[in-house]
Amino acid sequence: MKNGRERGRKEGFREEWKKNKPLFIMAAPAFIFAIVFLYIPMVGLIIAFKNYRYDLGVFGSAFNGVDNFRFLFSSGTGWLITRNTILYNILNMVTSQLLAVLIAIFISEINKKIFKKVTQSLILLPYFISWVVVGVFVYNLFNYETGFIPSIVAAFGGEKPNFYGMPGAWPWIICLFNSWKWTGYNSVIYIAAITGVDSGIYEAAAIDGANMFQRIWNITLPSVRPTIITMLLLQVGRILRGDFEMFYQIVGNNGQLYNMTDVIDTYVFRSLLTSSNIGMTAAAAFYQSVLCFVIIMLVNTIVKHIDADYALF
Amino acid sequence: MKGTLKKVLALALASVMTIGLGAVAHAADLDTSEEVELTMYVVSDRPAGQDVVDENLNALLKEKLNCSLKVNWIGWAEYANKYPLLFSSGESFDLAYCATWLNFASLAQKGAFMSVDELWPTYAPKNFEAATESAKKQATIDGTMYCVPTLLATYNAYGPIYRQDLIEEAGIDPDMSTWEGMEEYLDAVKANHPEMDGYDVYSAQPEIIMTWMQSKGFNWIEKGLPFMFIDPTEENPKVFTYADYDGVKEALEMTARWNEKGFWSKSALADTDTTKTQNGKAAMRIHNIDTPAGYAAAPVDPSFEFRFQNVVKNVAHLPFTQDCMVISNTAKNPERAMAFWDLLTSDQEVYDAFYYGVLGETYTLNDEGQFQITDVNLYNTSAMWAARTTELNRNQMGTPDWYNEMRAGYEDQIAENDAAEKYTSFVFDQSSIETQVANVLNVQQQYWWPMELGFTDYNTAYDEYCKKMEAAGLQDIVDEAQRQLDEYVKTLE
Repeated sequence: MKNGRERGRKEGFREEWKKNKPLFIMAAPAFIFAIVFLYIPMVGLIIAFKNYRYDLGVFGSAFNGVDNFRFLFSSGTGWLITRNTILYNILNMVTSQLLAVLIAIFISEINKKIFKKVTQSLILLPYFISWVVVGVFVYNLFNYETGFIPSIVAAFGGEKPNFYGMPGAWPWIICLFNSWKWTGYNSVIYIAAITGVDSGIYEAAAIDGANMFQRIWNITLPSVRPTIITMLLLQVGRILRGDFEMFYQIVGNNGQLYNMTDVIDTYVFRSLLTSSNIGMTAAAAFYQSVLCFVIIMLVNTIVKHIDADYALF
Repeated sequence: MKGTLKKVLALALASVMTIGLGAVAHAADLDTSEEVELTMYVVSDRPAGQDVVDENLNALLKEKLNCSLKVNWIGWAEYANKYPLLFSSGESFDLAYCATWLNFASLAQKGAFMSVDELWPTYAPKNFEAATESAKKQATIDGTMYCVPTLLATYNAYGPIYRQDLIEEAGIDPDMSTWEGMEEYLDAVKANHPEMDGYDVYSAQPEIIMTWMQSKGFNWIEKGLPFMFIDPTEENPKVFTYADYDGVKEALEMTARWNEKGFWSKSALADTDTTKTQNGKAAMRIHNIDTPAGYAAAPVDPSFEFRFQNVVKNVAHLPFTQDCMVISNTAKNPERAMAFWDLLTSDQEVYDAFYYGVLGETYTLNDEGQFQITDVNLYNTSAMWAARTTELNRNQMGTPDWYNEMRAGYEDQIAENDAAEKYTSFVFDQSSIETQVANVLNVQQQYWWPMELGFTDYNTAYDEYCKKMEAAGLQDIVDEAQRQLDEYVKTLE
């Protein structure tokens, strides 16, 4: 091992290039894309520390220290929205991934081909429905006067629930719609992972007398474990990014719900919609990115400690 | 006798021609020998049949000014993000629509526009002449003029838009200039039409209490901060907010009662339908005079008789910068752009071609000179609203008679009582308090809107609102506004 590494170093990039020319060429577009669209724009982060002026541009504008960050924290809202964003993401991550694994297992256990395809398509369908449309669904399901759910409750003699006056209900409503929308899409990846498991193992288990649940527990789940962990790690990278469209379309302008539903993205949108201060929005994005970076490094280190094979890098 | 008349006429004609020549001679400073293409940005969705309008206009512009105009449209769905980026992208364009609601003052401060101190009087002398002193003051940011404001007067008049047919049906005679009258009307409608919303609320800022304050004689000093008021009749007006003014609880009590009576849905803030009054689903909303005039000109149902009643006590013009034209700091042909603007705002032929399109194809005129768009799916009037002038602008066919009468009435009121008019030119510079403004606007939406609509109990929610506003930095905003206002008052003397 040690020898190999040293040799690799001596040979250097030129040797690597000679050996793996096709691989380098294949990776080149993605590499160039990342440099141009992900690394070079990072220079723009300095706007977060500047008092941006249109005539002076990104580099000409004067620095103003951390003034742009003040609006996030000066009124005590920064902590609340950071907490909301993280909690929502954990809740949504766990529920949508868990359901996706479950559904992938169900679907792969179905033997009837037509039924299997139809089920899979139907579950995938919500992914294609825009949040704007979902927002209309939500309003028609939950509004007090004519909403579907309050009307049903009233029809059975209960007292009409006023959902738009109950902030506590919304984390669950949002979680429900998030799962409804993403589960089908995420399950495709797990179905692919399950399909990749050697069918010989299942046959052997069946011959040894394992029933369906034993097969799932002892073969399917362990085989998709790396996929689950990779998916979760990828999601962690977005933990401070609220799904803006979802929150915005479902919650809208209902101020009463904000303490329970506000995430960083919606707060920034609302506060700065009427402002032309690019520095302040850049500061919010900068804050999200730095926290994301810290969290993903932390989680990856933890995963590495437990089992280095599962770590992202 | 006949000879004298002829002579007088000839003289008059000659003098008119000389004046005309003078103007031409002045504009001739501009070298138009080279043909240029001007680029202009407006905020609106591009009508499907716009090509016909552009072609017709460009033929006219080629002849009159040796230029053509390319209009770029920023759609309603994306303007909030895209508009500020126009000026940071480095793209070269000549003119753009701007407005107070597009952050004219703040963009000007951040260097987005070219100064028009020289350009405006030199290349658009007729327009410059026609603009009022107050409009020029409003265009001035930090001592430099950055826009050409509209020449069309608009008013801060605000109040209920209601339906006369519903009043007659109920057999009542409410005084719609009072809040009791409005409540009587809403009660009657609710009794006759339980399926209708009384008052129109949707997912946006409710403006009931803001209007209530104006009906008590208090005016906002910056419409973007609709919680801060002055009494314009005071000699040195003191800036105050909802949080300092206990009297606002009277209004909160009223809206809480309106909510209890079911004048609007308990989920109103989640409702995105903005056309409920227009479509007969709600009986009343509060807005400006142009809204019901538009409803009346194109009624959804011919039996709807829309009326408007102003309740603002101190009527004044709105800042002329609420529609304005700016020259980008990246403009290649600012002189020609300005000359085009002068032509557009003084020549009926060019204005018609620009604003309404091709006569007979995209619009028609009646004997009174009112216009109608032939096919609203294909054509629309221009989105460059800043080009409108009181002389050249046409009313839409079917505009109710009360529209012009009421507008004339506001001019009389302003002439009689200019208390609020004095403050029209005050531009609040928010650059030193941007952080507080962002925070306060957020609190306003989170705590005030639901309370104003009676969704939260004002007995407890009002104190919480005040506390949150304070934490968000309200006092800094009030202090800054007071400081700037005091300075402004000094300049009035």
